[in-house]
Amino acid sequence: MTKPSFDEFLAKNVEQSDRPEHMPQPQKELWSGIERAINAESPTNASQSSQQNRVDVWRQATAIAASTLVGMCAVYFSMKPATQSPVMQMSNYFEQQKQTLLVQYGSQPALTHDWQVQLQELEQAEQAIKTVLENDPENAALLQMLAQVYQQQLDLINRVHQPRWQQI
Amino acid sequence: MLVDARDAFADDTLDELVLRTKQGDQVAFAALYEQCHQRVYALCLRLLADQAHAEDACQEVFVQLWHKVSQFNGQSKFTTWLHSVTSNVAISYLRKQKNWLTKVVSFENSGMDEASISLCGDLNGLDKLILKLPERARLVFVLHAVEGYRHEEIATMLGMAVGSSKSQYHRAKKLLQEWYEND
Repeated sequence: MTKPSFDEFLAKNVEQSDRPEHMPQPQKELWSGIERAINAESPTNASQSSQQNRVDVWRQATAIAASTLVGMCAVYFSMKPATQSPVMQMSNYFEQQKQTLLVQYGSQPALTHDWQVQLQELEQAEQAIKTVLENDPENAALLQMLAQVYQQQLDLINRVHQPRWQQI
Repeated sequence: MLVDARDAFADDTLDELVLRTKQGDQVAFAALYEQCHQRVYALCLRLLADQAHAEDACQEVFVQLWHKVSQFNGQSKFTTWLHSVTSNVAISYLRKQKNWLTKVVSFENSGMDEASISLCGDLNGLDKLILKLPERARLVFVLHAVEGYRHEEIATMLGMAVGSSKSQYHRAKKLLQEWYEND
């Protein structure tokens, strides 16, 4: 049997993409998180809401501070002669961001006990990539990998301190 | 004819569930979730190309839906409106994921690798290829070819020029064709 042309394949698959039997399914149960999220916002939880509001105000304040910092850094780097390598620039930005988060969540209990072990593993990955970058500082793939490891560290810190709905 | 009748029945039920959800009926909302979560998740996965992010965004869509369902005025099909809400939530989710790091180094996120795609369950041939596309090409392709948005609308949604939307679409199509023919 001959393979259908690309246009035939495309037309058939696009047409099928709206049929449930051809749709991917989530691997996790998502409803309970949604249910908790909408119930957490109901008026019966007024006291929780007011507490949440205070937390939200704090988060907004820190978010504003963080974005101001990012903005200032962006201006700083755009005006500064490019004396630092991309790795250095990225590392400096990241360290500031990471410290801000760690201070922000300092007194807040984390959802998992082993998050620091996970963070340590990511830090080891960061070091390994930096070591390779020493010999090839402009390697775009490695820089992207480093950026992803940095992002994973920030995501981890955020995730264990800010429960997502499915974790509520 | 059987398919048409089923569709009509499904739409009636959906309309009823939407109406009851508007009145604050959580049981109806749960049933609405049961009927629609797969299409919401599928669109999130196609746009975000990340299973965990798609699950998060899918939850976000339904939480927003609970609050915004009163805004649905019935002028379009509910599923059309739901797809529009989902696209906006997923795009906004993607923007939130882009922090200063990705902006500083201005990398375009590449698509999923084969191993991650295989973890997403049973995907059809096109979905498997879509998830491999680079981010901008993927977003434009899904919104235009699968969701039926015009390039002008996509340009507004994604904050890019109409010409860029068109060229990303052709880029996506070319890559998909290449992968399909070499498969």
